[in-house]
This record gives sequence, C-alpha cells and structure tokens, in this order.
Amino acid sequence: MKPFFRKLKWLTERRGKDADLRAELQFHLDEEAVERQVEGLAEEEAARAARRDLGNIALLQEDTRAIWGMPGWTIVEQLIQDLRYACRTMAANRLFTLLAVLSLALGIGANTAIYSFMDAILMRSLPVPDPESLVVLNWHANVIRHDQDFVMQSMSGTTYGDPNSGTTAGVFPYPAYELFRKYDAVFSTVFARYPSWQVKNLNFAIKGQAGIATGDCVSGEYFGGLGVPPAAGRLIIPDDDRPGAPAVAVVSYAYSQIRFGGPAKADGQPILLDNLPFTVVGVTPPEFFGVDPAAAPDVYLPMHTNELLGAANQFGFRPRRYLDRNDYWIQIMGRLRPGVSLAQAQATLAPAFQQWVASTAANDRQRANLPALVVKEGAGGLDTLRRQYSQPLFVLMTMVGLILALACANVANLLLARAAARRREIALRLSVGAGRGRIVRQLLTESLLLASLGGVLGVLFAIWGIRFLTVLLANGRANFTLHAALNWHVLGAAGILSLLTGVLFGLAPALQATRVDVMPALKETRAGRQQPARAFRRVSLSHLLMVSQIGISLLLLVAAGLFVRTLSNLHSVDLGFNRENVLLFRLDARKAGHKDPEIAAFYGDLWKRFNAIPGVRSASLSEDSLIQAGTGLPLGVAGEPRNDANRILSVGPAFFATMQIPILAGRDIGDRDRPGSPAVAVINQEFARTSFGDRNPLGQHLTLGRGDGDRLARDMEIVGVSKNARYGGLTRDIPPVAYIAYSQGYPRPDQMVYALRTAGDPLRYINSVREIVRQADARVPVYEVRTQAADIDRTINQEITFAQLCSGFAILALLIACVGLYGTVSYNVARRTGEIGIRMALGAQRGKVVQMVLREVLVLAAAGLAIGMAAALGGSKLVASFLYGMKANDPLALTLAVVTLLGAALLAGYIPARKASRIDPMTALRHE
Amino acid sequence: MSARPPTRVDLLQGTLDLLILRTLLAGPTHGHAVAKHIQRTSEDLLQVETGSLYPALHRLEAKGWIAASWELSDKGKRARFYRLTSFGRKQLVTEQSKWQAFARAMGLILNSVDQEGK
Repeated sequence: MKPFFRKLKWLTERRGKDADLRAELQFHLDEEAVERQVEGLAEEEAARAARRDLGNIALLQEDTRAIWGMPGWTIVEQLIQDLRYACRTMAANRLFTLLAVLSLALGIGANTAIYSFMDAILMRSLPVPDPESLVVLNWHANVIRHDQDFVMQSMSGTTYGDPNSGTTAGVFPYPAYELFRKYDAVFSTVFARYPSWQVKNLNFAIKGQAGIATGDCVSGEYFGGLGVPPAAGRLIIPDDDRPGAPAVAVVSYAYSQIRFGGPAKADGQPILLDNLPFTVVGVTPPEFFGVDPAAAPDVYLPMHTNELLGAANQFGFRPRRYLDRNDYWIQIMGRLRPGVSLAQAQATLAPAFQQWVASTAANDRQRANLPALVVKEGAGGLDTLRRQYSQPLFVLMTMVGLILALACANVANLLLARAAARRREIALRLSVGAGRGRIVRQLLTESLLLASLGGVLGVLFAIWGIRFLTVLLANGRANFTLHAALNWHVLGAAGILSLLTGVLFGLAPALQATRVDVMPALKETRAGRQQPARAFRRVSLSHLLMVSQIGISLLLLVAAGLFVRTLSNLHSVDLGFNRENVLLFRLDARKAGHKDPEIAAFYGDLWKRFNAIPGVRSASLSEDSLIQAGTGLPLGVAGEPRNDANRILSVGPAFFATMQIPILAGRDIGDRDRPGSPAVAVINQEFARTSFGDRNPLGQHLTLGRGDGDRLARDMEIVGVSKNARYGGLTRDIPPVAYIAYSQGYPRPDQMVYALRTAGDPLRYINSVREIVRQADARVPVYEVRTQAADIDRTINQEITFAQLCSGFAILALLIACVGLYGTVSYNVARRTGEIGIRMALGAQRGKVVQMVLREVLVLAAAGLAIGMAAALGGSKLVASFLYGMKANDPLALTLAVVTLLGAALLAGYIPARKASRIDPMTALRHE
Repeated sequence: MSARPPTRVDLLQGTLDLLILRTLLAGPTHGHAVAKHIQRTSEDLLQVETGSLYPALHRLEAKGWIAASWELSDKGKRARFYRLTSFGRKQLVTEQSKWQAFARAMGLILNSVDQEGK
C-alpha cells in the first residue's frame, strides 16, 4: 500500500519533476561550461564541450525517470504512451487500419470457428465425473479376404478398415463382456451399450399421442459406471437389466421437456414404446448426451428389453445372441480402478481376451486371424465423431491456417511499406537518442494493437462462423449433436493466436525499420532514395511476402476448384431417376401396433389417399428411399446358383412411374399385384445382365430365401426390366436389384417410405400428408420428411460443405491477396512518383508507365504461381480421398485457379499503374 | 576530452552509491560538485559519468538515503542540493564497513600471492 501511494504521488508530481530534472541538468551544464571557460575555451566552445561530456541527455532523462517509479510503472507508462501513439497513427491511416484489421479478423475468425469445432469433436470430455479413468474396448485384426476366415461371423456396428493397418472395431460378443466383468481388479465397473437398429426410431406414445424417439440400449451398470446423477427419479440400475424385469425407460432431459413438459412430470409416467408398455422411471441430467458424441439418444432402455422389442419383428433381436460367441454387437466401456493405468489394463486384459477368443475359433484360418484387444482411453466417449470428422477438420484447419498466414503476410507487407514511409521519422527519433529496442517495442505495440483489434473482431466473426458451420454440417438434421461453442479454451486459443500473429507480422518490419543508417535516411527527399543496395534488400522482403501470398492463394483456389468440381460431378451423377419434386417421408405402422396381414392393407389404403391429394401426380412406397436402400437376402434365379451381390427393394404400386425410372421391357409393379395374386418382381438392367446375359428375363422366376436359413420364402415371376437406378448411395456401383411387391409375402412390410411426385414445391404437401395419416391412425407418426433432393444431398453433405467452405475461403484468400497486392503496388508507385515524373518529363508514354508497373506485378505473380503450383501438385494428393470423378491434379481446376489469380493480380496492379500513368510530371518534380 | 587523465580506473559496480554517500557526509551539495569532488579526491583516477551520476542520485533519493532541495549555489544560482538523511548515514556506516572488509580480504589474498611468488 505505502509504496503504491508513494508512486502515485510521484506520478502526480511527474510534470514538476520533469521540469526539475531539466533544470538540474541545465545547472550541471552551466557549471561545466563555466569550468571549461576557466580552462581557456571560448564560451560557445565550452558550452558544446559540456554538452558532449554530458552524453545522451534523452537517455539520461529516461534512465532517471525509470528510477522515479517502480520498474513496472515505467513499462506501463511507456505502454500507455506507445498505445496512444499507435492509436494516433492508426487513426491517421484509416484505410490501412481497416484493411489490416479486417483481413486479420477474417483470418482469426475462420481459425477460431474451425478450432472450436476441433475442440468440440477432438478434445471435449464426457460431462461425467473423472472422465480420465474411463476406457473404451476395441479390437484390431488384420485385413482378410473372406468372412469365413474371421471368428467374427456376424457383426453389427461400424468397423474401420484400412488396407494397410487392418480393421478396428468396438463391438464384442456378449460372452466377452461377461469375461471382462470378471476383471474387477482392473475395473471398478464395466458397462455396455447397444445402439440397436430396433431402437433407432422408437414409436414413443404418451396417452395415445405418438412421437418418434431415438433410443439407446444400455447395461444395468451404465449410469452407475459413468457416475451420472438423475435429474428426476432414478436411472437404470443392474436389477432393471435382466430377463423378465419390469420394462422401464429413462428419458433425456431435452426429450422430457418436449414430450412431458419437464423432468418432474415425466417421472413415473406409463408409456408405449413400439406399442409395448413401459414406465418412465427417471430423467438424465441436461448436459448428458450418452457416450457417443455422434448421437444423443432421447430414451435409454435396459439392454435386455431388446428381446421384448424384437419379439414381434421378423428380423428382431433374439435372446440367443447373448450366448453366441461369434456374434459381435455389444459396445463395452469401463472405469479403471484408481491407480490402474491404461497400459496395465491393456497388459492384463489383452492376454485374457486372446485366450478367450482363441477358444471361439472354428478352424486354423480363423485361429491365424484372431482379433487383438486394444484398450483405448475413453474420456471423450466413443470415437465415432472423431473418426468421421478428424480428417475433414484437419483439411479445413490447414486451409484456415493458410488464410491466416495470408492475412499476416498482408499486414506485414502493409506495415513494411509504411515503415519505409516512416524511415525519416524513425531515423530522426534514433538520432535524438531513442534506443533501438524502444522503437522496436513501439512498432510492435502498433502491430499488437492491430492484432488485438483483429482478434476481437475475429471472435465476433467466429461466433457467426460457428452458427453458419453448424447449420452447414447439420444440413437440416434436427437431432444434430455436434455443438461447438466458444469456451475459455477456444477464446484462449484465439487470444494466443492474435498475439502470435501480432508479433509474427510485426517483428520483421519493426526490426527492418530500425536498421536505418541515420544520416542518409535523413537526407532523403520524397523524390526517392539514394541507396539502391539497401533498397533492393528491403524490396526483396516485401516481394517475398507478395510471392508467398500469391502462392498460398493459388493453393486455396486449387482446393476450391477441386471441391467445387467434385460437387458438380456428384450433382451430375446419372441417378437413373428424377430427383426433382418428390416428397419423401417415413411411416412405421408395425411399431404402432398394426399386424399382418392388415398392415399391408393399411399401407395400401394410405397410398390411395396420398394419390388423391390434389397436385400429387403420382405416389408410391418402398421400404427405403433409393439412396438409403440396402437389403440383401438370399435371392437368385430359380434353379441356378445365387449371386451374393443381388439386392432387393420392396416397393409399392407405380414405383417406377413415380420415381420416373424407365421400364425397358415388361411392366411396372401395379395395384393388381396384391397379397394372394401371383408374386412378381421387376429387375434392373444390371440384374438382367449378370443373371440372364442374352436371355430374355421376362417370365423367368426368382427365388428368395429366408435370411436365417436357405428355406424358400417366395417365388416370383419377373414381369419387367427397368433401367439402372442408383441404389444405396450416390457414387456406389449399382448392384443387381430386384424390386419386389411389398405385400406379397416374406419379407413382410415394416416401415415404409412414401414417395409423392408433386406439382411444384413438394414441401407444400406436408400438412395434407400429416392430416391424412392422423385420420388413418394417430398412433403412426410421420417422420424423416424431406425432399428427394435433400435425401441425396444428405449423403454428400461433406462434399457440399467442403465445396461451399472452400469456395468461401478461396474468395477470402483472393480478396486478401488482392488488397495486399494493391496496397504494395500503390505504395511503390507513390514512392516512385518523382522517378516516374522524370521519366514522363523525358518523354515516356503513359502506356509505357503502365507496362512498367504491371511488369513488376506479373513477375511477382509468375513467381508466386510457380511456387504455388508446385505446392498444389504435391498437396492435392492429401485431399484425394475427398474427391469424386476426377484426379487430384485436375487440369481444369488448376488452369482455372491460375487464370483467376492472374486476372485478379493484374486488376490489383492495374489500378495503381493507371494512377502512375496519370502523374503530372510538373507536380511530381515540384515535390521538394 | 583532453582534460581526461592518461590512466583512469573504471568504477566498480555499486561503488558509486557509496562514493556519493561519503561525499555528502561533508555537507549538502549539488550533483556537479559531487562529481568534481569524487574526481578531485581520487586524484583524477575516478571520473564519474554524468549518465550514471544523476540516475544514481535519484535512486538514492527514492530509497530515502539522501534528500534533495533547491538552494542557491555559492555563485548565487538555483541548484538542487543533496544531503544525507539519518537513514543514509546509517547505511553509509554499513556500506563502508562492508567495503573495508572487502578491501581487506582482497588485500590479504593479493598480498599472499605476491609473497609466495617471491
């Protein structure tokens, strides 16, 4: 306190003290002078000698002042002084400041936005206590050709394959889960989940009001192991997870609000899930989203309710899966005991699993390809999102990094130009005794101030960018779980980034600016400088920056070109059907309680009513939309060996007419193909080619076997051959497909996707559709409503996002580079006004002057393009996996990028060049 | 420059403060006089750089070892006069004994080497 007040007093008396010090030093000079005069020097001479003897007065004053205050105060004082000065210079150069801050803000904003997504996806921990002690169990195996060579005879779940490193997955047989549970020296708890397809879209009915809910099946130890407290009621406990236990459900906080009006009201409510009675016993806390960041379930069910839900379904869950040692489906996580490390867990569990899995092998080939256990850290939960987004995010991060580099180069270049303009000022300050470090610090203060302003504005841009990116990535999905947000993590990163950029682009110009020979710099006039050698070195740094800017811009332009071309290739893929003006939506009558054979009639009746909506030209239904289809059952030509590549799609009447898939021979499936009438099928060209060759397929018979055996389930006559249409994806090769009537036996109809070809905007018909379904049966919810175009776009979401983002980035880069180019060239022109004036006075033509300026720009552009091209050729291989229908070094994309950049560079150079040619020689020469 | 003696000793770090305090023991005086006094008393062996004298005076003042006031010099001009405070006097005693101990130690070591060398 006391020293603080003393310093405060010093500060207030500061002005007086400065005067005091000046007077004191003056007295010293006078005394000294008098003494010299006594020694015999003339008065003037004596005064000068005294002065010389005193040395650097400014420095002395500075040193003395430094003693008055605390060391910290001096720095603060100088900082305030520097900041004031920086603000003044910035205000004096508004355009410069605006351009610099804006380009930095865009760079920092883009980086912050992308980084916040990286933070959300790659670094965020589960919102549970002590997430660091959680582990996820995976297995890893070598890649092999035939499924028979694996002990994994069937699998449900995602596997991540790589031809080099092998296959990794996080699904296990239930007996393996029981094995791991025995290791309680390693684990304090082991728990499991199964995101079964059965619970993906649950019919969730409260007092007759049906809705769709996403479910997750969890083991009894799941919530206890994670340490999640309930928001209301209780969560699932081990006693709930056994055969015959009362059917209970736990809902998420958000879902309790949507459907019940709050967690307290949800607790204890009886509900129907897929028409089976359940009781809601509790609600999860608001921040909890499960263990898979890619999916936030609305409802959690005990694992063993799977049997209940599957019993009614032809492909439903059967209890024998709990015993099957070669069926991989359950996802396992665990919490390590305190003091047990990941390596210790791995060392204990891997051999145990190894021994167990060896006992499940049926032959030597399987024994040679056993999966090995990998214990992974589980603080972030399952890595679905990480695997999906880490590579695209890496590409995006590289791009925004390049943009920031571009912005930095830009500001550095502008600062460099300005520092050159301030040579005389700096030389003057150096000559009156300012220390070099002091001036560097002052210049750095300016660049840091610029960077800070850019950072603040950049965070604003980032907020906007995160919203935009979320919309872009979610692409209309309501349950999109990826929520990136600005947190201290991200803001800290943005702050550090701003400071770093400030130092980065500020240091070089500052150091160069203060490396001045004072005398020649002071002698300079505005007409030009005398020292060509020095000028060359200065120009070379600014040239280097410009060249690198052009190179970086080219890289981004090439990337944008590649992604835009990929997108346009994807959009021009021959679908085989007409995607425009089709409304798609999904219904599941079986989950609402409809049974065979009534369900087929229910669907048929709805089809008729949809057909009758005014404006609906044609309607049909199929088990899935064409792009999402994928059903494989044993199917082949009667009496011939089966082709395993054959696929089926259950469709309703007028499917080909509605989707506008041309029938090449025979007929469409129609209203007459009912239950009881002879079973029919339409095959695509690919099916005809692979199974019949030159023979006429019409009238031939196909046989369909049951999925769980080879028993004959259906015999069908081929009544038509259609043109190939996309099946199960946009870019996948079209497989041989048999389109079979949905109502003519096995497989019996479950969910159905209706397709309505409409006049005008398909989304206008949603209300009519909902009304019709509500009248037919209010227990059947209408969901996944989208247009056929959106259905397709969803599968190429990443490509769309990339194309849009990269185009944006490329435009940004081009703008920043043009601003830099323009600024530097104009500055150079302004600096050479005198020289150009002389040239023109001596008879140089205007065109010649324009040429002279543009030549410089072109040389720089050519150098930048050459470097950028080399980098693009090397770097585009990195994004090859994101491209479709083209090579990484697509000549069109490269050419377009070069031409665009060259055009932009010439434009940026032409404006100052024209200005140069308008210089009036008389005015130019009259300068000083 | 010609005024400088042919041989000069650079001031040891930290000794300027002691010299200033010792000079002021004789009575209050201004900065120029302090410099001259040190120069003269050391028979021109020590020359105080003005660049370090004034910061040192202000540093001692900030520490409260000396105090300053504006008074008239013997030639009738206004000058900033420094005088020892009682605190500074105490400091001078400690600093001086420290220095003497140091000088004695140095002397012992240097002389002993001398004798053995002979």
